Amino acid sequence: MAEDNPAALRPKDRRRRLRAMVEERRALLVPGAANALTARVIEDAGFDALYVTGAGLANTLLGVPDIGLVTLTELVQTVEAIGEISSLPMVVDIDTGFGNAINTRRTVRLLERAGACGLQLEDQVFPKKCGHFDGKGVIPVGEMVSKVKAAVDSRDDENLLIMARTDARAIEGMDAAIERAQRYIEAGADLTFVEAPVSVEEMRTITRSLAVPQVANMVVGGRTPLLPQAELAEIGFALVLYANTPLQAAMRAMSEVLGALRRDGGLDAVRDRLADFGERQRLVDKATYDALEKRYAVE
Amino acid sequence: MPSSDTGSLRYQLSGDALVVAPGIYDALSALIASQAGFGALYLSGASIAYTRYGSPDIGLLGMTEVAETLTAICDRVATPVIVDGDTGFGNALNVIRTVRTFERCGAAAIQLEDQAMPKRCGHLAGKTLVPAAEMAGKVKAAVDARKCEDFLIVARTDAIAVEGYAAALDRAGLYLEAGADVLFVEAPRDRGEMDGIVARFGDKVPLLANMVEGGRTPLLDAAALQAIGYRLAIFPGGTVRALSRLLAEYYGSLREHGGTGPFLDRMNLFDGLNEIIGTPGYLARGRQYDGSNFGGDA
Repeated sequence: MAEDNPAALRPKDRRRRLRAMVEERRALLVPGAANALTARVIEDAGFDALYVTGAGLANTLLGVPDIGLVTLTELVQTVEAIGEISSLPMVVDIDTGFGNAINTRRTVRLLERAGACGLQLEDQVFPKKCGHFDGKGVIPVGEMVSKVKAAVDSRDDENLLIMARTDARAIEGMDAAIERAQRYIEAGADLTFVEAPVSVEEMRTITRSLAVPQVANMVVGGRTPLLPQAELAEIGFALVLYANTPLQAAMRAMSEVLGALRRDGGLDAVRDRLADFGERQRLVDKATYDALEKRYAVE
Repeated sequence: MPSSDTGSLRYQLSGDALVVAPGIYDALSALIASQAGFGALYLSGASIAYTRYGSPDIGLLGMTEVAETLTAICDRVATPVIVDGDTGFGNALNVIRTVRTFERCGAAAIQLEDQAMPKRCGHLAGKTLVPAAEMAGKVKAAVDARKCEDFLIVARTDAIAVEGYAAALDRAGLYLEAGADVLFVEAPRDRGEMDGIVARFGDKVPLLANMVEGGRTPLLDAAALQAIGYRLAIFPGGTVRALSRLLAEYYGSLREHGGTGPFLDRMNLFDGLNEIIGTPGYLARGRQYDGSNFGGDA
């Protein structure tokens, strides 16, 4: 892909593309990846954007829950690896920005350089927790406003979208959450993301009350109703995150296949559930590397 | 079981002599400091921020960045390294990951402080603290997380500047109860405060003194600190303060003269630097395996 269309890989172009898609407000489906392989599968399946998930990174890289143990360096390395092989625009989950406004500045600069096209910054207390966990805390609204401003001021490319997320719904209620989102928009956020509305009515309140494009987060087993894309588009959401769907599918598949291997001592019962050798090499684009090897072969 | 290794930091701290740990910031500084004969080294977060990023010590450095630096150092020198763990990079759960990572990287001790995230240098104004009980929990988490009890937990309180001297001593007492192996009451303002710290804790636990050139604590030498009753003295930032002056002089001279001639008597020449780095030893080891590539006749 990179060979055919090198321009598609330029972050500036990807950011312009993402901004245009966001502005259409047609409930763009954005699956999450925590590694480059998942990003390959997302692109192969035909999606137009991907989300780099902090929770997925905690789960896969460290094998731990989403409780703020992943470091900025680990996130940057993941984003660099994904940007290297994917031509899709990447929305990156930067959690709390890894500290205060000054940390947020560093986080934005490093991730912009790593190729991010959108950054999702949330108003939780550091270290953060998954938005659908109990026991979250939010920082004072003024502090988050400063962080959003710092993020906006720190980007080089104005098409790097700053998505401000508020986790206040579960703590301070819906009105306060909308009020916070409004303040973040005034601070320069390009999108807002009111996390974990618990009903369709609340979802409608979000898109009705806030002027900028909105994000919906579809978490299986979470607090927000899972709705089809058409309905989310009708409600007016711009982006719909399926942050951990690929990971959840992979977890189940791995468990079932490994369970069968353990039980049967072989793969006969599950062979049709495995990507075969050719499929695997196709997904990691072996053909491109074979061609490169040929081009640089020593005579 | 604590090791009886006479080079271990725990063993050194059990003796009478004050252990002096100069600041290091990378493997080269660690190598030169250990060749100078120090029994312990202090990997300062501030110095990594200064040298690697040219940035102040305001909590921008992440855990992974310290771990990478620490790994490179411990791979090169055997001298025990005390690593500055700042706040542990978050709450008690982050402390657990940090302790396990730094111990695995090869550190001999980690220093954890009770500042709120993101932290700032102990001698800067505007510090804030986490509640004492929260910090005690972090110290406990650190003690529980280490694999070997020779990996020491140094608990630092920054409370003198925030809550006052008496509160700082009370906090240090709590951290000691939580299992700290070394106490570090940061930035006492005069000799009397230093004496008071030793009077309260000197017979219970090794105490660390931090010497910051231009900071808030009287600048004393090893003999004086030992006489007061400290067991460990760190000189974290002195290294970069000396280095920065030297670099400015070197660059100034090169810029002025267009060459290095006038500075030569202050430099290690080619062979001199290779000697410090250990190049001859590396090449000799290479010859054992592959004489054709390393200039031997193996």
